[in-house]
Amino acid sequence: MSRWLAVSLLALLLAGCATSPAREPPRELDFAYAPEATLRASAQVLMANGYVVRHADAELGRLEAVFSRWPGYRVRVEVSGEGERSRVSLTASRGGRPLPPQTLDRLLVEMQEQLGMWR
Amino acid sequence: MLRPQVWKKVRARAPVIGLAALLLAGCQTVPSTLPVAEPRPAAACSWPLGEQAPRALLGDAVAALEAEGFLIRHTDLALGLVSAERTRILPGYGDRYDRWDRRGVFGGIGGGRGGVSSGVMIGFGGVGSLTRDATQLERVSLLAGEGEVRVSRDIQVIDWRGELVEARSASTTEFCRGLRDAIEAGGRP
Repeated sequence: MSRWLAVSLLALLLAGCATSPAREPPRELDFAYAPEATLRASAQVLMANGYVVRHADAELGRLEAVFSRWPGYRVRVEVSGEGERSRVSLTASRGGRPLPPQTLDRLLVEMQEQLGMWR
Repeated sequence: MLRPQVWKKVRARAPVIGLAALLLAGCQTVPSTLPVAEPRPAAACSWPLGEQAPRALLGDAVAALEAEGFLIRHTDLALGLVSAERTRILPGYGDRYDRWDRRGVFGGIGGGRGGVSSGVMIGFGGVGSLTRDATQLERVSLLAGEGEVRVSRDIQVIDWRGELVEARSASTTEFCRGLRDAIEAGGRP
């Protein structure tokens, strides 16, 4: 009985560590701004928070920023759309493991504020 | 209501169940929000663009960063972005933190070989101090547009084993003011 308990406990323990999915869904939001302005706002907000933008391309509509704190954070921004409409898709990882989408909510709020200031 | 016998059984296992809950909780330490730099990037890391065209400033920024020894990693003129990095060797960085390790090498060789040859020991010491230099990686990004210039920077130190031993955000007044002065001087040192 106690052996059964120990085995199931171990299985549970290992399962608990492994439940982090290989891919988290991206955090998405629609903005009433041009894709380029939205991408610039994401760069502005990330840099104001101390992130370093490693790559960004307005035509591809993507941006990658890193944050230097152990074990290393990375944020990827993808923007699509045309005219005065854009859809932002954000993903983040911590030490190579994806972070849940709700961690990116504050970034979206700050982007909205930044775009409001520019208008 | 649980019968007394069942309740007694549950109570007897309570420490085990509690321990399991604790262990499982330990696996799930995910931050609820993205980290931000503490302290915040210095005020000097953002300044008004003025009358200058973003493109002209970016040209000067690239020249200023290169003059400081940075390698330009990426530019995007549509967004007004420059991303650069610079590496520097930190001599003897490991010595400050790994004294015990070095003594281990000496002790191991010395003990194993006895008094056969002191030359081997000196040789190992020399190689050790050469390979124990750490590398400092400095990453910078600059964004110009919407009437504003913004700079962010971080520093990582990677030791001789290739492990990250230091990682911090470093958007400091000193660095940003220096870069701004260099850009306003036309990128020439």
